[in-house]
Amino acid sequence: MLFRNLRSLSLLLFVTTVTVSTAHAGEGHGKGSKADIGQPGDPAKASRTVEVQMFDNYYEPESLSIKEGETVRFVIRNKGALVHEFNIATAEMHVAHQPEMMMMVQHGVLKGDRIDLEAAKAMQTSMGHGMHKESNSVLLEPGKSGEIVWTFPEHTDLQFACNVPGHYDAGMQGDIKLTH
Amino acid sequence: MNGTETILRAGARNLGAALFLLGSGAAGAAEYRLSVDPVTIDTGEFVRSGIGYNGASPGPVLKFREGEDVTIVVTNNLTESTSIHWHGLILPFQQDGVPGISYDGIGPGETFTYRFPIVQAGTYWFHSHTGFQEPDGAYGAIVIEPKNREPFRFKRDYVVQLTDAHPHSGDRIMRNLKMSADYYNRKQRTVFDFFSDVSKKGLGATVDDRMAWGDMRMMSTDIEDLQGFTPLINGKSAQQNWTGLFTPGERVRLRFINSSAMAYYDIRIPGLQMTVVQADGNNVQPVKVDELRIAVAETYDVLVQPKEDRAYTIFAESMGRTAYARGTLAPREGMSAPVPELREDPRLTMADMGMSHGGHGGMDHSKMGQGSSGAMTHKMADGSTMEGMDHSTMGHGSSGAMTHKMADGTTMQGMDHSTMGHGSSGAMTHEMADGSTMQGMDHGGHGAMAMKGADPFYAPGSGLTPVAAEGGKFLSYADLKAQKPLYEHRAPTREIELQLTGNMERYIWSINGVKFEDAEPIRLTYGERVRFKFVNTTMMTHPMHLHGMWSILDVGAGKWNPVKHVVSVAPGTTVYMETEVDALGQWAFHCHLSYHAGSGMFRKVVVEEGPEHSKALSGAKVRG
Repeated sequence: MLFRNLRSLSLLLFVTTVTVSTAHAGEGHGKGSKADIGQPGDPAKASRTVEVQMFDNYYEPESLSIKEGETVRFVIRNKGALVHEFNIATAEMHVAHQPEMMMMVQHGVLKGDRIDLEAAKAMQTSMGHGMHKESNSVLLEPGKSGEIVWTFPEHTDLQFACNVPGHYDAGMQGDIKLTH
Repeated sequence: MNGTETILRAGARNLGAALFLLGSGAAGAAEYRLSVDPVTIDTGEFVRSGIGYNGASPGPVLKFREGEDVTIVVTNNLTESTSIHWHGLILPFQQDGVPGISYDGIGPGETFTYRFPIVQAGTYWFHSHTGFQEPDGAYGAIVIEPKNREPFRFKRDYVVQLTDAHPHSGDRIMRNLKMSADYYNRKQRTVFDFFSDVSKKGLGATVDDRMAWGDMRMMSTDIEDLQGFTPLINGKSAQQNWTGLFTPGERVRLRFINSSAMAYYDIRIPGLQMTVVQADGNNVQPVKVDELRIAVAETYDVLVQPKEDRAYTIFAESMGRTAYARGTLAPREGMSAPVPELREDPRLTMADMGMSHGGHGGMDHSKMGQGSSGAMTHKMADGSTMEGMDHSTMGHGSSGAMTHKMADGTTMQGMDHSTMGHGSSGAMTHEMADGSTMQGMDHGGHGAMAMKGADPFYAPGSGLTPVAAEGGKFLSYADLKAQKPLYEHRAPTREIELQLTGNMERYIWSINGVKFEDAEPIRLTYGERVRFKFVNTTMMTHPMHLHGMWSILDVGAGKWNPVKHVVSVAPGTTVYMETEVDALGQWAFHCHLSYHAGSGMFRKVVVEEGPEHSKALSGAKVRG
């Protein structure tokens, strides 16, 4: 198989992002950004389930339309051959997140087609950088699925995006249109 | 699907009436007509007669679709023989267009009909393979639309085809170079430079330095042996300013093609980063850069996203900094942005002579066995020690030359880890000069070694190592990773060493010291995977081009190694590429610098049937 360490989904979710400073659960990451991007939602209150498929290097669907304040359950499937992320944030937050993802590549944590959990641990030990679960994103190896339940805010320009180096700029990003 | 919407403008050229005729929309077959014509080339700096297609140079952009069969009817309106080679296309060897190897060429007044299936997608080009017709203007672009959607999105699509138009004809240039190799070198060192060096370095060092260069029969300014050219973008000089339009916020695809006879270019667009998505027609995992170097005959596709309502300059300096091409991306016609100054010209160093053996220079670890050997100690030139590197788990892979740049700026040079594993994560411990330790790094992908910068595809200390003009990231071969591997990764069945050699004084360029006329063909067997080892013993950079089969450039990324058709080998370096030998027939293999190929750095490759013929036919190729 592609990866030796077949771990549970929850463990995969654990290795979602590297944050240099402390991150507060529910606020997502992106240092210095005060935008209200919403918060983790109660699955029981989700009005619907939206399936998002990730390919190399694009999403289907390419954009999303969601009601202000709506709680949505996302089921995200990686149908590509490379690792991809689904991350809900503002464009500025995505851009701020990308150097962190680059660092994961440089430390061998993020390989083209897999996530190296051993390297992630080593990186944590040597660099002192924490690995935090972020509830606004999932990072998935090929063939894997993840889930996010998210309650959307009112007036924020949000995007869903993949911040694996290069993918965002190649067009792996979509607008989230918030409607009344 | 707006992602694949294609708007080809490719310059304000007259494409000629007869181009995209017949077969439009009809699945499976299309017919194209090209005439080879005498043309006038007006660069704004000089006017000369040259050769073009359908009445213009460059010729038209040929648009093919992956999966169709094309028929291309070529009529030679010249008074001499000609040919067209479809650069980078995978096709039957009789259709490859090299006189004396694929066929006899196309005589004056004759028509030749090419027929072949289009089995790939991406950006390529075509050019004459006869004499020096290509430098005289006989080139054009090929754009192949993929069967499936692209792995990236864009709204606009432009070919940006570069060349180095010269006021002299190719034949005249070859004669002059043969007469005097430095005929076109305007950057010769002078007696004044000598006294200036003496005052800086002292007489002894200066004389030693000069003697070394003299032995090589070269000069430190020998970066471009053909100067005095006018760089063009889509046939337009800097002052003629080729312009591509965009609406702010749109993602624009630029298909850079270097159709120069001799000039490499360093390309940047001040104010924009470029996301490289394709190299030599094959998709690569996207990598965002500030600047890139394009070797002769390479192509790179990049995406840019200009967001402001203003013009941006596409600036392409020749590697020797003797000239630049310039174009513009703008929201409206007639706009322009500031044009940067040419940077100071680089000087070749002793490292480019292959002489940097101080410290670690030239360590060849290529014979490091599988699983053998434990801890190695690397003594640095400054006396510090790098210890505890355990290469023992590095397995049986492959990788190009690698440079370990240390935190304090010292460099571990010229290490050739050519047998380091592919993907197997040999846990290496790098003791940094500041005492910190980096652990658990996986060297399966050496691109990651671009930790601190130095490009492993240049000799350590090389004067040619590129640096981004405005800071930031300069693309390295080490950054190129296939988006989707074309072949199963496997160990090569044998290695062939090709020394790139030359006698600069007589302007003879050769391979393994033998020029084309005196050389036996390279014989390959269908079904083998050959590892080519290029050892550049000259002081010039050679873009090596194998026809008919892909060149899998070893960047140390195993199955993700990028698939190319040109592999540029810098002075003083050793570069490896592997080829799945999957195309019977006879093919050309040469340096793509026109006057190097023309003076002997050229081989015929013959692919013969072998026992693995049928097995290989059933296919190592994995990409659909």
